[in-house]
Parts: sequence; C-alpha cells; structure tokens
Amino acid sequence: MRLWNRIRFFSARERLDRELADEILAHREMLEERYTREGMTPREAREAAVRQFGSDLSSREQSREEWGFGWLDTVLRDCGFAVRLIRHRPMLTLAAVLTVGLGVGANTAVVSVLQTVLLNPLGLRDSGKVLVATVRLEQLQMRQTPTSGVEFRELSTMTDAFSAVAASEGRTWTILTSGEASRLVGRAVTPDFFRVFGERPRAGRFFTPEDRESVVLSHGLWKAQFGGEDTVIGRVMMLDGQPHRIVGVAPASFRFPVDAQAWTPLVLSPARLRERGNNMNLAIFARLKEGVTPAQAEDRVNRYVAALKSPVDGEARAMAKMGYFVDLEPFAGHVAGDLRRPLWLLWASALAVLFNGCATVAALLLSRVAGRKREMAIRLSLGATRLQILRQLLVESLLLGALGGAFGVLVAAGALSLLTRVSIPGRRLLELVTLDSQLMLYGLALALASGLVFGLAPAVQLLRESQSEAIRRGARHGFQNLFVTAQVAAALMLLVGTGLLLRSFWALQQVRPGFDPAHVGTAYFIKPKDDPGFITRLETRLASSPGVQSSALAFPLPFTSGGLTSRFRIKGRERKSGEPEWHGEAYFVSSGYFPTLRIPLVRGRGISPSDEAQAPVICVIDTNFAERFFPGRDPIGQEIAMYRGWARIEGVVGAIRASTLEKATRPVVYYPLVQVPFFPQAAALVRSNQPAGGLIREAVRQTSASTPVFDERDMEDRISESLGIRRVVAVLVCTFGVICLLLATVGLHGVVAQVVSDRTPEIGLRMALGARPEQILAQFLRRGLVYGGIGIVVGLAGASYAQRWLSGMLYEVKPSDPLTFYSASAGVLLILVLAVLWPARRASRIDPQSVLRYE
Amino acid sequence: MATNKTPEFLPGTLDMLILKTLTRASNHGYGIAQYIQKVSNEALRIGEGSLYPALQRLLVNGWVEAEWGISETGRRVRIYRLTAGGRKQLAREVAEFDYLIAGIARVMEGA
Repeated sequence: MRLWNRIRFFSARERLDRELADEILAHREMLEERYTREGMTPREAREAAVRQFGSDLSSREQSREEWGFGWLDTVLRDCGFAVRLIRHRPMLTLAAVLTVGLGVGANTAVVSVLQTVLLNPLGLRDSGKVLVATVRLEQLQMRQTPTSGVEFRELSTMTDAFSAVAASEGRTWTILTSGEASRLVGRAVTPDFFRVFGERPRAGRFFTPEDRESVVLSHGLWKAQFGGEDTVIGRVMMLDGQPHRIVGVAPASFRFPVDAQAWTPLVLSPARLRERGNNMNLAIFARLKEGVTPAQAEDRVNRYVAALKSPVDGEARAMAKMGYFVDLEPFAGHVAGDLRRPLWLLWASALAVLFNGCATVAALLLSRVAGRKREMAIRLSLGATRLQILRQLLVESLLLGALGGAFGVLVAAGALSLLTRVSIPGRRLLELVTLDSQLMLYGLALALASGLVFGLAPAVQLLRESQSEAIRRGARHGFQNLFVTAQVAAALMLLVGTGLLLRSFWALQQVRPGFDPAHVGTAYFIKPKDDPGFITRLETRLASSPGVQSSALAFPLPFTSGGLTSRFRIKGRERKSGEPEWHGEAYFVSSGYFPTLRIPLVRGRGISPSDEAQAPVICVIDTNFAERFFPGRDPIGQEIAMYRGWARIEGVVGAIRASTLEKATRPVVYYPLVQVPFFPQAAALVRSNQPAGGLIREAVRQTSASTPVFDERDMEDRISESLGIRRVVAVLVCTFGVICLLLATVGLHGVVAQVVSDRTPEIGLRMALGARPEQILAQFLRRGLVYGGIGIVVGLAGASYAQRWLSGMLYEVKPSDPLTFYSASAGVLLILVLAVLWPARRASRIDPQSVLRYE
Repeated sequence: MATNKTPEFLPGTLDMLILKTLTRASNHGYGIAQYIQKVSNEALRIGEGSLYPALQRLLVNGWVEAEWGISETGRRVRIYRLTAGGRKQLAREVAEFDYLIAGIARVMEGA
C-alpha cells in the first residue's frame, strides 16, 4: 500500500507539486481574508500571513520529500539545479570539462595499454603463473637471449618447481591461397605449450608427443581461411608444400605470440637436447607448480646453474666461465619488453595531468566562492540544511566530472586509435589494445572521483564562509596556495622529464648509423626451395628494374632482428686462457650491399659477383672486428671459421650501427649470400630516386611466381621505428608537461587575481596614503612567486627522486643533467612571473579615488 | 528548518492531532489548522510549514484521502478525509500517547 502510493505519487509528482502550490496559495489567501476580517489593512494582512505561514518554498520542499523516493527526487532536483548553473557559466564549464576530459582521457588510454600489455598480458588466463626462461652470458654482455635445447631438457626435469614446460621456435611457411603465394607466421611448439597457458582448444585438440606433420590453427586464420567451420579438423593443409593435418583450433582469446597464425609440433632431437650455447633459438615457457612461488623456482634454477661449475661436463664448465645464467622472467615482462618502463612513466604523467586538472578546477570553483556566498546565505536562511547545500554543491561538481568523463572517454578512444597506428617495435601488441566497457567505466569512475575531489574543497569552504560572520578568506587562500604549489611542482617534474627525453632523442638523431639509409627501399622474401639460381636471377632483374641506381640482397637487414651472433675461430691463433669465446655478428650479403648502403670500403675489396657458391668461401669484416681481433695488423689474407669452414678475409669496411642507434654493433663479419645458403629467407634492398614500393615485389614475382614477399619498408622507416618508442614517450610526456604548466599558470593567475580583487579596497586605501604602484606590484609579485618558488623547490626535489625511472630511456644525457634541471626551472619561473604579473599590474593601477568612493 | 515560532509539540503528535480533527468531519488544510488552534485555546498554533508535509505523509501512508472540493467561502480547496486505515492508526497513536502522558504524569507527581 505504502510503496504503491509512493510510486503513484512519485510518477505524478509534477501534477502533485502544482496542486500543492495551489493548495498552499489558497490557504494563504484564507489566512489573509481572516486577518482582513479582523481589521488589518490588506497589506498588513499579507505580511502577517507570510509571517504566520513561514517559507512557502521550504514547506513545499519538505512536503515533496514526503512523497516520492526522497533521495532520487532530491538528486534529480539537484541535478536540474546544477544543469542550470552549469549552463549559466559556460566558460567555467568548458574549462572544467576540457581539463577533466584530457586528464581522464589520457589516463584511460594509458591504462588500456597497460591492461593489455602488462597487467593482463594479451588477456591470457592466469598468465601470472607463467615464467619465461632466458639465457644470460655475463662475459659477452648478452642478456635475455633465447635458449638452446639443454635448458629445455633441464627445466623439464624440474617437476618440483614447474607443472609444465614448453619450448617454441619461430617458423614461417609459404602457403598458396587461390594461386597466390603468401607467408604464414607461426611457431613450432613442444606438446605442453598450450598446457603451460592453461588453454583449451576451440575445436579439435592440441598436440600429443606423437604428433609430427600436424598443425593447430589460430582462431584468426581459422576464420579467415576456413570460414570458421568445425569440419576443418582432419583436413590437410600444405605448409611449404608439405601436407600437415589440421588437428585443432586455438581459442580466440589465445593470441600468443601476437603474430602467430599457426602452430606445428616441435620435435627436438636427442642431439639438440644436449646442445648448449649453440642453436639458441628456443623460447622456453614454464608454468609454476601449484604452491611454488617465482622466487622458489628461481632458486631451483640457480642451484642447477651453480652445479654446472663442478668439473663434470667440460662444455658446461666453459659456459659457466662465460658467466652463464638462466633467468626466469614473469610472462608479463616478457610480453611488454621495452614497453614496460615507458608505459609506467606515461601512466604516472597522465595521473599528474589529471591531478593538475582537478587542482585547477578546484581553484576555479574556489574563486567562485565569493560570488556564491550570497546565494548560499539566502538558501541557508530559507531553511536549507548544511547537508543539503553540501549535497547540492557536490552534485554540481560531480556533474562537471561526469561531463568531463564522457569527453574523456572520447579522448581515450581517439588517443588509442592514434596509438595503435604509431610505428614502434611491439606495434602488433598495441593493435590488440581496445577500449572495452570496463575501461570506460574506469574512466567515468575516475572522472566522478575527480569531481568529488575538486568539488569538496570549494564546497566546504563555501559553507564555512556562508555560515560565519567573519569571512574566513584566509582558509580559502590556504587551499588555493596548496593547490598552486603542488601544480607547479608536478608541472616542473614533467618538464624536467620532457627535457631529458628530448635531449636524448636529439642526441640519438645526431648519431650517424655509418651508412646512408635515404632512398633505400627494402623487403623480405622467402627463398624458393630447389631453385639454386634464384638469388642470381633476382639480383640481375633488380639491377635492371627501371629507376634503380643500385640494388642488393642480404640477410638479415640492419634494424630488423640484428645479425646472427656466432662463435668463430682464427686460423693459427688460440684463445688465451680465461679469454671468453670469440663471437661476432654475421650478415650474408650480395656484391651490391656495400655500394647500395654506401658503406665505405676501408681496405682490400668488398664482395664481388665472382664470389659464387662454388668459389672458395671469403668474408669481409668491419673496422670493429679488425680493431678488436687484429690490432696493428693487416687482417687481409687472415682466415676465420664461422660458417662453412675457413674463410679468407678479403676486405675491411666501415662499422655501422645495425641494430640500434644507441649502441655500437658487435664486431661484424659479412659473407657472400650465395656462399652460405642456410637461411630460408632473405631481403632485397633497392636504392632508387623513385618510390621503391612494389618494385621489389614485382621483381620477385617475375623471378619466381610462388615466392611470398613481406615486410616491405624503407630503410629510414626501419631506423625511425627503432626510435619510435622514444619519440612517442617524449612527445606524450612533453604534451602532458605543457598541459600541466598551462594548468598551473591558470591556477596561479586565478589565485593572485582573486587576492587582488579581495583586497582592492585595502590597496586603494594604501595608495591614497602614498604607496607607490611599484610597491604594490612588487608585493603581489612576491606573493605569487613565493608559492611558485616553493612549487619549484618541491618539483626539483621530486624530479631528482623520480629521474631514476628515466635512466633506461636516456641516451648520452645524465638523469641529473643540470642543464635540463636549470632550464626547466627557469622556464617555469618565467611563465609564473608572467602569470602573476598580469593581475599584479591590475592591482598597481587601482585608482584610489574610485575605490574609496565605492567603499 | 523549524519556521514556526510556536514551540513544537511532542514528535509525532501533529499526525495524531490531524487525524483526530478529521474524525469529526472531512476538512481542508486551512480548516484543520484553524480547528486545532481554536480548540486548543490558541495553545497549539500549527505552522503551515509543518502542516502540509504532515498531510503529504498521511496521504502517502494511506491514512487520509484527498479530493478537490469547494469550501464554505466558495474557494477551490483540497478536502482531506479519514480512511479506515487512518482510524486504526489514530487508535494506535492515542494509545501510545496515553501511555506516554501517564508516564510523564507519574514522573511529575513523584518529583
């Protein structure tokens, strides 16, 4: 009954409200009539009736609370009121919505990336239990290298630590789809691979140890190539022309490795399971046994490594001497790789922006406190409770927050679509980042929390001021000063970070890689099997293609996977005892390589067309190699053995930076491509003044129709991609920093302007008594700068604490680089002076006469 | 909040007074206020600020019903009528009130 009435009343509340108003009016008129009858004048009667009746509004409000769902009704009413206020102050609303929107948008975007890349990598189920094993060779400064068979064998036996261990190795296959050759990327995996990740097949089954010529399809490939039909199980698929039976389909949620389209069984021969420090191509994934912590597992692996030093196994001892370790890394870290640190940094910066935004909006709202005091005083005297007013004010700021949040979600969606297009290593990973409903909720919650944060201080202050006789402006300014100081500090910290990142970025751009990447187009292709003449034919065809100045074939390309690190020997020389094994990086190139990339020849000759497959094996070394292994000697004519036995060194070329711009590449050995035909793929390089896109593809197609071409990119793009993450981080941190500085400027300006307007009478009086404008100006300048200055000091302290987060991302700049610290502080100070000068000048120009007259 | 200057009655008694007034005859808000004021010898002056919220409360609880009608002076007013539920509620409140008054009386006599 009661509930039903409530619903009825609530749904008819507008009509009821009108009726109630009528009823009260009638009541009042009857009172008036009575008073008139009793002998009052009509005017006296009306006044008496109003007195007797009390506040018409408050009685209606309280009556309304009786029906209706109290809270819902009041919230709706508060919202309506807030909407009116917000519409009447469009600039303030715009500022608040933009500020909150940018902060929330930046945060939501960064958190979406964090979610996919770090927090819940690739959306895999309990990936927290998966560890990745890598090899570290201290003496060679090699870290996180893939492993050999022996590590897989050893980890597999540690059943006390791991419940499943799997190895995987990269594979690419050529497949024919409707007559067109294309390349399929996948992995060969040991049977437990899917069990490590706790996955179940979408259809069919995963591998058993008996599987040989089988294949498991990724969900994407299954949909794209087989229309997502279950009948695909048991069918045969041709990989590299070999029949493979399709035994299963992986679930859509399983997207690891990100580029994998199919998996085949990896069968490791007994010989390979014994190999150590050679053939290091395996990625090992281990699932922690129930109840075993990562630290315990690490301990177990370290015990194994320590045991190697005992004099049982000669080869193992040699490895131990090279500083051999097996590292276990959480799966999340393995996936995120180099993105990890930049992401956390961006997250912190985005939070700083949001925080600064809140502080600015709070300062803006605080500066309105003076203006709204009257309104609040009236409402309080009309019978509103403090709680009601507080609620009303909070609803206003929450509404601002919600609007900002809605805008922020749009910002985040826009930012993500930009981010996923950015060219950086790990781009494929970023393609998986989406803004799901959960993250949108996070963004909105963040916005509402911001609304609460920036609404509370002004609301509390407003209530205090409205309620007390003596106006407590001091406290208001206290709030504002605190905000401004914190804002300046945060802005300075971000700017110092920006400065350091930008300086590193510039320094890196100054680095010359030692070759000329301009106007060089590149693309990889798969070498057709059983076609030994292909390389030579392709070389000829490329060279005669229209517009080509020079061309070459090579494997691998600079700035892709890096050269092949290989052991070698030098004829007639033994390693000194204790000297680590000799390693160099091998590249396999055609005769056009050095001219095409304009790598200077230092001594001897380059690779010539006469270095054919059957000719004696030769090699060319770079200056790094010559200086390291043949100091003060002529390396020409020396022989080294790395691939295919002894090879005579015929020339020395300039060293280039081939994997990153940051570091010099290790000593490099170049072999003629045709003399070491072990690799299934190679790349073509073309120097041409015309766009090379399509040129290589066309030449390859004409040479052999069934050869897939992939990864077509200009050399310059490859280099800039290696800088991509730096650029993204530098640009974003810089943007965040500038936004923060802008917000801090607005905040400081607002505070000083407020103080000036509050104290206008006092200033007028002082000027009337003979104070000079300069004195007034200096007074306000000093006041603003004290808080700005405190902010700068706090910011510098914060920056010198936080710079350690940057250390890994800097290049030839110390994290404590004084130039950056000084110039960032100076810049902030300058802008603060300008922000303060504006209102301070207004104060110094106050006309004492007009002020006194106004008083 | 309390806009009427007369001392408030014991909490909850206003509802009882209104219900009691309506047992005599259905009446409009002004009539109810006047009646209570007159019968109490002006001791109880109901601030209309609390009369209308109380009436709404009684309506929501289903203890009174309201209908638009015409007053003695020919004015369009809302006339409140006691329901069966309201009669029961009045009995409950009177019982509680008597109990309370008896308690107060005992304390005052003892003092």
